[in-house]
Amino acid sequence: MLKDLYDVAIIGCGPAGLQAAIHSASKKAKVIVFGKPRNSSLYKAHVANFCCSEKVISGKEMLEAGRKQAESFDAVFLEEDIIETKNENSLFSLITESDETFTSRTLILTMGIARKKLRVKGEKKLVGRGVSYCVDCDANFFRGLDVAVVGNESAASTGAITLLSYAKTVYLVCRKLMITDTLYQQLRNSQVKVIQDTWVKEIIGANEVEGVLLKNGDTVKVNGVFVELGAKGALELAANLGAMFDAETMSFVETNRKQETNIPGLYAAGDITGQPWQIAKAVGEGCVAGIEAAEYAKKLANS
Amino acid sequence: MGQGVLDVDDNNFESEVLKADKPALVDFWAPWCGPCKAIAPVMKELEEAYGDSIIFARCNVDNSPNTPTQYSIRAIPTLILFQDGKVVDQIVGAVPKSHLEVLVKKAL
Repeated sequence: MLKDLYDVAIIGCGPAGLQAAIHSASKKAKVIVFGKPRNSSLYKAHVANFCCSEKVISGKEMLEAGRKQAESFDAVFLEEDIIETKNENSLFSLITESDETFTSRTLILTMGIARKKLRVKGEKKLVGRGVSYCVDCDANFFRGLDVAVVGNESAASTGAITLLSYAKTVYLVCRKLMITDTLYQQLRNSQVKVIQDTWVKEIIGANEVEGVLLKNGDTVKVNGVFVELGAKGALELAANLGAMFDAETMSFVETNRKQETNIPGLYAAGDITGQPWQIAKAVGEGCVAGIEAAEYAKKLANS
Repeated sequence: MGQGVLDVDDNNFESEVLKADKPALVDFWAPWCGPCKAIAPVMKELEEAYGDSIIFARCNVDNSPNTPTQYSIRAIPTLILFQDGKVVDQIVGAVPKSHLEVLVKKAL
């Protein structure tokens, strides 16, 4: 028996993830929730249209209350991003930004959707000509070249470290690093050249990337720019497990009414399954996913 | 109905794609690439719909490094539409099915 084997692992601690945690943990499943509250779209919102609550509620307070509720049912919370997911022998392995591995019988994806593009001059034109949104996919095309990674959070820092094995020089452009201490130390001890307190103003190049112009006025000559904003999202984590996406958008994970994806034991709930972007929908789907995942884990444990 | 998505490589790219008697849509992919996995079922669906008039192929960039280099591919998935041995158009990334359909219809 594996030590620390969880019944239900949840990526994302917004309303969908919290409701899934409450329902699965209250069914006595062993539950762990990954993610940072500030990455939930609810964090900065004020909620006025949620049923049975007349007053406007602060999203941040809702997230804190939901976590306390889930913790009262013994769900465990870890404020770290997941950087890699694997599915082997009917178990899911999750690697955190601090390089720890957790194993679970089921996995519920509730990390929402996040902006992936920088929206700066030159970006759109140079996609596939040096601009990339996936270090894991495209690092190999930049062997021996100079690259810049852009982003403040775990995806950018882990991406920059990965690129050291391929590229000649790796710059990390960030306003302020928002990563765990372990990852920060790893980055500090690496050859990644961190350029802090600034951001990309423009990506330069006629037919391919030639450099980035920063807001502080400096230009850094590079052959590639990896845009890695926030934490790793659906396309990286879910697609890697073989989850089907909605063909019409390629942004949302497909689920049935039980919130099951096409992969046994893998569920999705909340914004990641598509519109509307509402708490009511997120908690509804989270509830179903939590109950279904807890039951699936129980069957798997008894089989 | 077509014959499924055809695997092409550095050795047969010329005969199967460039010298083919039909236009060909080639998906440059790799097994470790999440977005490539997401787009694979879309390629299959399009092949079922348009496979009679267009060749749908995929090239694993890990096993066949020369072809992607020749077309300056720096990101995957990249989907390139070829006609008479020339590049007609290309799309980078896991795009919606409708975007790929627009590309396919250029060759019909």
